[in-house]
Amino acid sequence: MSVIRSFAALVAAKLVAFATAPKRFVLTVRRAIYDLRTGKRTPWDVAKSVLMTLFGLAMVLVLLFPLFWIFAASLAEGTRLFTTSGIFPDPSTYNLGAYRWVVFESDFFFVEGDWGYPQLVLGGSGGLVSFRWAGTETGPGAVFNSLYIVSVTLAAGFGMIVPAAYAFSRRRFVGRKRILYGYVLFTQIGAGLSIATLVALYSLFSSYGLTNNLFVLGLFYAAGAIPFNTWLLKTYMDNIPVSYEEAAMVDGASFLETIREVILPLTKPGLAVVLIFVWLAGWNEFIIAQTLLRPENYPLSVELYNIATEGRFSTPWTRFAAFANLFALPVAIVYFAAQRSVEDGLSFGGMEG
Amino acid sequence: MASSQLDVGRDGLSKLRSALPFTGRDWGLLLVIPGVVLFSSFMLYPIVYLFYISLTDATFAGSVIGGGAELIGLANYVQLLGDPQFWTSMSTTWLFVAVSLVVKVFVAVGIALLLNHARVVGKRYMRAAVIVPLGFPGIFTITVWRGMFSDARFGVFNTLLGRYNEFMSALSAPQALLFDVPIGFLSGRWEAFFAYVTTEVWLAYPFMVIIIVSALQDVPKSLHEAAMVDGAGWLQRFRTVTLPAIKGPVLFASILTAATSFQQFLIPWVFNQGGPARQNELIIVYGYREAISFNEFGLSAAILIVAIAFVGLFMLVAVRYGGLAEGVGEE
Repeated sequence: MSVIRSFAALVAAKLVAFATAPKRFVLTVRRAIYDLRTGKRTPWDVAKSVLMTLFGLAMVLVLLFPLFWIFAASLAEGTRLFTTSGIFPDPSTYNLGAYRWVVFESDFFFVEGDWGYPQLVLGGSGGLVSFRWAGTETGPGAVFNSLYIVSVTLAAGFGMIVPAAYAFSRRRFVGRKRILYGYVLFTQIGAGLSIATLVALYSLFSSYGLTNNLFVLGLFYAAGAIPFNTWLLKTYMDNIPVSYEEAAMVDGASFLETIREVILPLTKPGLAVVLIFVWLAGWNEFIIAQTLLRPENYPLSVELYNIATEGRFSTPWTRFAAFANLFALPVAIVYFAAQRSVEDGLSFGGMEG
Repeated sequence: MASSQLDVGRDGLSKLRSALPFTGRDWGLLLVIPGVVLFSSFMLYPIVYLFYISLTDATFAGSVIGGGAELIGLANYVQLLGDPQFWTSMSTTWLFVAVSLVVKVFVAVGIALLLNHARVVGKRYMRAAVIVPLGFPGIFTITVWRGMFSDARFGVFNTLLGRYNEFMSALSAPQALLFDVPIGFLSGRWEAFFAYVTTEVWLAYPFMVIIIVSALQDVPKSLHEAAMVDGAGWLQRFRTVTLPAIKGPVLFASILTAATSFQQFLIPWVFNQGGPARQNELIIVYGYREAISFNEFGLSAAILIVAIAFVGLFMLVAVRYGGLAEGVGEE
């Protein structure tokens, strides 16, 4: 619960910061005008600041242009996108039709969007007349497959990454250097490597009868996430002074207590980053999933890919965009809430010049 | 777990203990082993197996599993060296890595400097906005870029170029400055290559910006001020103060993103499957297609082994000389 509460607090703080941004902007402008009047800054000096800011804004707009475009596209179900009228759809035609399609017709939540329906029950245990929700007839959709894979990946990943990172950071043991060195070598060999080994993977999984198995696929993603995230968390733990643990030990804390009371609380931001990365490892991958799974087990990423490649020139952009937004948004929100930690986590590894 | 392990040690097995290569002190190894086992079985074992396949004449998955494949030694590698497609693919991949790396470094340093500039108001919000691409799945953003680069007359970039043409014509600019729309971004060799590089740069810049910005923020302000007092111009300050501060991080980020560029699969695959006419097949796409489309498992395995060897070598050099493994050695 406390995790949820602190996460909510984090999001709230971000929202407040964003909501009060205009106020601070007005203050900055007022300050500049005041400085101009009193002659503290020359007009040229202020103009330079304004120009630089405008330049920065323009750059942000150019960089994020593809995302604006696809978001606008997701609101334009039923209109033609590539026409003479321009790149962006006419705002007067904005509608949520594509999102409706994702929820109630695609396989996102339930196969063919069949959520089930309320049903009148006569007699039975619920009194004379009662309602109950008739289940879906077509079965659960891709989101459940995705969630299943991700839970396996997270459980296996955390179970192996956190203890290993602790051992690498705090213990000296045989082979430590060698294993760590190997992990560093593999930090950057993620998605590409699994595609490179796909030929062997497919043969191996087939001969052991492990294809079409969501559990094994989740384990596979966890395995791929281990080197980078162990290394990341290890460097994070290195920055916690050992004296904290020693102090706790002196106060009579047992070994497990120091872990619970000192190490874990202080590594929380690092754990958050690892959580995001491990989650993404299971959530985004699709080539392996598409090769190893049969259609009834496809996760969201494969469904998205299938929508994108229905035809080379006929990607249904509005539906694709709506599907992708629903697919990516939860992760993106968590990502931005933890943005500061992610930045700290990514600039790891004694990289000070 | 810890104490039980020590107890075993105390249980009079001291003789055995002294014979083992590790002591009770080494129980940390136990925390590491599960991860190593999982990683090895899903990542290292397939590589070894891939190497085995590359030594056989396997043509499809069934022939590998069913034992129908026979060892033919290094024949696949010999065949590979004689395959012009291999050389096309190799050179295109290296060109892709080099070009996108150079562009990436310039773009990322530019963005980082601008968004860390004292005169830019609201730079913290701009920084937050600029790294948005990192938060979205690759398949999503890459497909969106394919839409932007659409060959169609009314594709996004073609429309923009059309607007630009109208604008320039209105200024009665010379014909040489106009574009010949529509450009077939995905159907010409170099046009497609340009599209790949643009997308790759866009995917990788947020990571570099994050790293460079955090390095820039570690530079003490007084250093800049001292240089200013000494009358150093912007360029001189950049060379003497900024550059030394960001050199290490930029090198670090370059190594990492170059390694991922080398393994780039999604961009060529989603854009046009490495086309047109197989001219832009980056190395992983080439290997993947040989297996999936042409049923050449043995050859495909050989290609991928070569690719993995290159990346491995690259990382080895990078770790050794790039200071990537700082913190491993400290005892």
